[in-house]
Formats: sequence, C-alpha cells, structure tokens
Amino acid sequence: MGTVHARSLEPLPANGPDFGALGEEAEFVEVEPEAKQEILENKDVVVQHVHFDGLGRTKDDIIICEIGDVFKAKNLIEVMRKSHEAREKLLRLGIFRQVDVLIDTCQGDDALPNGLDVTFEVTELRRLTGSYNTMVGNNEGSMVLGLKLPNLLGRAEKVTFQFSYGTKETSYGLSFFKPRPGNFERNFSVNLYKVTGQFPWSSLRETDRGVSAEYSFPIWKTSHTIKWEGVWRELGCLSRSASFAVRKESGHSLKSSLSHAMVIDSRNSSILPRRGALLKVNQELAGYTGGDVSFIKEDFELQLNKQLLFDSVFSASLWGGMLVPIGDKPSSIADRFYLGGPTSVRGFGMHSVGPQSEGDYLGGEAYWAGGLHLYTPLPFRPGQGLNAGNLCNLNYGEGPKAHIRKLAECIRWSYGAGIVLRLGNIARLELNYCVPMGVQKGDKICDGVQFGAGIRFL
Amino acid sequence: MIFDWCQRINVSPCFCLIPAIIRISHWLHFKSGKVPFIHVGNQVVSELGPIVQFVKAKGHSLSDGLDEVQKAEMKAYMELVNNMLLTAELYLQWCDETTVGEITHARYGSPYPWPLNHILAYQKQWEVKRKMKAIGWGNKTLDQVLEDVDQCCQALSQRLGTQPYFFNKQPTELDALVFGHLYTILTTQLTNDELSEKVKNYSNLLAFCRRIEQHYFEDRGKGSSSIRSS
Repeated sequence: MGTVHARSLEPLPANGPDFGALGEEAEFVEVEPEAKQEILENKDVVVQHVHFDGLGRTKDDIIICEIGDVFKAKNLIEVMRKSHEAREKLLRLGIFRQVDVLIDTCQGDDALPNGLDVTFEVTELRRLTGSYNTMVGNNEGSMVLGLKLPNLLGRAEKVTFQFSYGTKETSYGLSFFKPRPGNFERNFSVNLYKVTGQFPWSSLRETDRGVSAEYSFPIWKTSHTIKWEGVWRELGCLSRSASFAVRKESGHSLKSSLSHAMVIDSRNSSILPRRGALLKVNQELAGYTGGDVSFIKEDFELQLNKQLLFDSVFSASLWGGMLVPIGDKPSSIADRFYLGGPTSVRGFGMHSVGPQSEGDYLGGEAYWAGGLHLYTPLPFRPGQGLNAGNLCNLNYGEGPKAHIRKLAECIRWSYGAGIVLRLGNIARLELNYCVPMGVQKGDKICDGVQFGAGIRFL
Repeated sequence: MIFDWCQRINVSPCFCLIPAIIRISHWLHFKSGKVPFIHVGNQVVSELGPIVQFVKAKGHSLSDGLDEVQKAEMKAYMELVNNMLLTAELYLQWCDETTVGEITHARYGSPYPWPLNHILAYQKQWEVKRKMKAIGWGNKTLDQVLEDVDQCCQALSQRLGTQPYFFNKQPTELDALVFGHLYTILTTQLTNDELSEKVKNYSNLLAFCRRIEQHYFEDRGKGSSSIRSS
C-alpha cells in the first residue's frame, strides 16, 4: 500500500490577511503511484485515529477542538484538505514552531480496510524567547528588549513583555493574551503599558501610562472588539517656544473609556492590497467609568481595492471621525484628530493641517479624508494619487447641517505621483511627489518629495 | 489668574505681583511646570528670578534706589529666606505625617480623579523627601525645623527693626518675598499652628505683613483671607 506524505496543499481561500502569509510558503504534494491505479479521491475512507507526536506542555483539550473536523472527512481528498486546515489552525495558535501531517493506512487489530491514521508531528515553541534590538531615530537612540512566553499554561496563553530604554524616554508594555479553546477568534487580552510620544508639530510631549482589557469575538464575517482602557496621561511642552494654547493643556488627566470596534476585512494583504475591501468602525465613550475626560468619539475607515488590466490596482479610501465632548470641559489635545502628512493627505506637513496657534497644531474635533490611487504593475508599483481632506472644530450649538457645511468648505487636496515599497508583511514605505492645493492659512505644506513609512495609509 | 493681576495693577507692578504669586505658589499645582509664572502677551516667564529680570527689562525695578552693598545684603537675605523658610514650609507640608495625612494629601490631589489624586500626592511626597535628604534635612525633626524658622525670623526681625520696610522707606524684592512667605505661613490652616506661632512671636514682622496687606491688597478689594491677629 502506498503512503501519502502531505506537507501542505495549495493555499485555500482563507479569511483575512494573516492567513495569506502562511499559505505562501513553498508547497508540494508528493504521491507515490501504486501498481494498481485506484481513483483515490473517490474511495470512501474513515479516519480512525489521529495521533499527536511532540506535545509537551500543551493541554489536550485545545488540540482536540482544532482537529475535530478531520474525523468528519469521507474521502481521501477531504482527509487531505481537512488535515491541511487543521494544520493551519494549529499554527495559528502560535504555540508550535512546526507542524507536519502524515496520513497513513490504519495498522493494527481494529483496523478497517478503508481506515486511515492521521499523525500530526509537532514541535512546540520554547518556553521563553527573547529579542534584543537597538533603534535609532528622531535624535534618539534606544535599546529594545523583548520577551515572549508562548503557551504559558498549555492552552495557547501568551505573555509578551517589551521594554525600551532610550536616551530621552523609556517605555514598556506587558501583555497577556488568551484565546478561547476551540475558537481562536474569541480571545481576551490584558495590557499594561507606558509609552511616551513626542509630537513636534504641536510642541507637545505625551506620556501615557495605562491598562486595558479587551475581548474580541467574530459575528458572521465581522470581527468585533470590546475594550476598556484606563490611561493616565501626562502632557507637557516640548520646547520653550510652545504656544500658550498648548501650555494650557499640559498636566495630568485620567481617561477611562469603553470602546467598541468592528472590522470587516476581505483584502488579500493589509500592507499593499490588490483586491478586497476594508471597513473599520470604532466608537469610544469616555468618562462614565471614572476619569476626568468625557467624550464620545466615532471614527471609520473604508478602503476598496480593485485589480484592473495588466495587474494594476485601483484603490479608493475614505476616513472620517467626530469627537463630541460631554459636559462643559473642552476636548483635550490628546483626543483630537489630526490631518496631513505622508500617510494621510500627502503634500501637507505631518499633522499640520487645521486649527493652530503660533505654529502649534491643535487638532480638530471632526475630520474627513479621502484618497484615490492607481498603482501600476511596474517594479515598486509607481502610481498616481489624489488626496483630499478637511479638519475643523465644531461648535455644537449649531446643527448638523452647519457641521457638514463647515467640513465641506475650504477642502485641502493634493495630486501627485510616487512609488511604494513593501517591507515584508510589516510595513510600507512610500516616496511621493505631491502638489498641495486648497491650502488654507496656517497649514504647513511639504515642498517636494515626501517620504512616509507606516502601516496605515490613506 | 496671574495675568488678571498684571492688567489691574498700575503702580509698582513688580511688588504687587510677587507676593501674590508666592502666596499661591505652594498651594496650587499649575499645569505648566514651574510656579510662579506670568504670561505677558506672547511670553511666559516662570520663577521669581526670571520674573524680576523680566520686569526690570520692562523698566520697573524696586531695588533701583539701593547701593551695591545694600543690593548684596538684599540678595543674602533673599537666599536666607529661600533656604530656610521655603524649605521649612515644604518640610511641614510633606514630611510631617499628620499634616500630610490630614491636609496636604487631600489638597494636592483635589483637582484629580481617583486614583490619580493618590498617585500624584505620593509621587510629590517622595520627590520632596528625596530633596530634603539631598540638602541634609532628611533627619531633622519637626522641633529642629521650627528652631531654624525661629532663627530666620529673628534675623529678619532684627534687620527690619522699626522701619516700615527692610531698606529705607521703599519696598524692595526682599519685602515682597518675605511678605509672600510670612503671609502664607500666617494664613494657611494647618493641623499644627506652631509655625505661625513662631512668626507671631515677632511683632514687627506681624505688623509688617499687616501693613503690606492693607496697603496693597485690601485697598484694591482683594481681602480673601486676611491675617488673623491672635
């Protein structure tokens, strides 16, 4: 009897960009031909046993949930497909370095003539992995230490710790992640962090110390996340020449907020998608669970990508958001929206559009931004683009018609061309030359070539 | 608040500003960092030294009438006040456990919501205690601190004598500084009245404070907390 070694099959249609990466590894299927050429795919089979080799600290119940479907396969092709899916699910848990699948006929006393044994050979990840990097940027050097404890208690719990020690600032983050056994998309995580950011466009320095707890779950094709976050924010001035409007905002504040986010993502990649669409809607309510900052914030992100002739891609995106402070206190500079820069409306300076005071940009309570891009199939995907957007503060005494009118007048927009470089699956680099138009008094523009790096681009 | 003062005062702005600023400097937590500060037009100037310089640059100075020897003496007394009175006030607020527990902690954390009020108060207390240790006051007891305050007040009282102000008949920056500190000590309610008692022992200092308060503050309708004479 011949044996079938199935390492992995052709990538099957998968949900979300993360799956795509796993399926792009080298694949091959090797079948040793038998003397008798049976039509294997039509042969009825029964999966009698599923073995696991190499389990150490992993508990049985989460494994059983992931491979349950393998037993339901009725013929050989289904067995191969279900085994492949089970392998993908096991890898997604993030607890194995390698998973190999071996399908063989059943041996032994209780073996049926059409019985099959499926064996998963797994290698667990080490208990503790560490990483050490040095980073240089923005006149600051820092060393970053990372520690990861995968599969802490045997059910795919993960603890990660990152510590960054720099010449100017220190930050750290500790995170605990736990998926629900059998249902990886339902997961829970708790994070503790301290991050410092410097925002030269507002002459502002912000230190956030916070704790957050979030729970994610899928509903049909959408992914929802409910999060509570408590942040102690300390704002300060970055230079002696900071404007008084920014100085007034400095000090300590505590934000305790509940937020809900919904994501539908059918793109093939989140960094440089060729097809698919993304819709992200996020709501945040602050102030009712403590703290001294009170607001409702709503923002959305929509992106559509379509592949055209000769592998060129047409991409359209729309962003928008609104912040409504509750009560008498005005909104804080740390909560408002910003517009402009190589990752948003290109051609304008980084976050340098909208209300400002003596050169410091204060952000706005409502904004919208849209972009249309055409990427050609040449190397580095040179493309043309059109960006537009507006940012303003709203006077909530007026009605919604007045708000829409305010956002529709004095639109900033730009057109230009550029090239795009993809950095693995992590980030995107862009080099653009854009001509800004509709520039209002106070906006800062970027004359010439603009370089941008990031993960979220308009 | 501060720039309201700037606009209302048209006579010897320097003098009036400084005690007002010092009076509130210890008890409020300003968001900009260092207090006292003034905001004039586009500029923000903080701390006493730079404020005096700034006002001098604008053409007003209280110590113009002094000669070099007197100016040096004035600087010396100002240093004494800063080193003694200021440190004693900080000690009493932050290192005396009864005061901290009953008054300072609650007052310092009052603008903030829970748990930030406790976190910031403890953080400030730790900072002040560290500073005390650095200048050698870490092991001083309350009685020793009160002794030092007494000695400082004695020196000031001797310098003042029977004159209306420390130098001649005109107020100088030293008068403003001393008034600011003494006024704060006399009018702030604490669990422990010993500090204000020490000051009250010197009747000429008490009269000095009363005189300035009447002349510069009550006249302009600001008499929110006045010196209680025991």
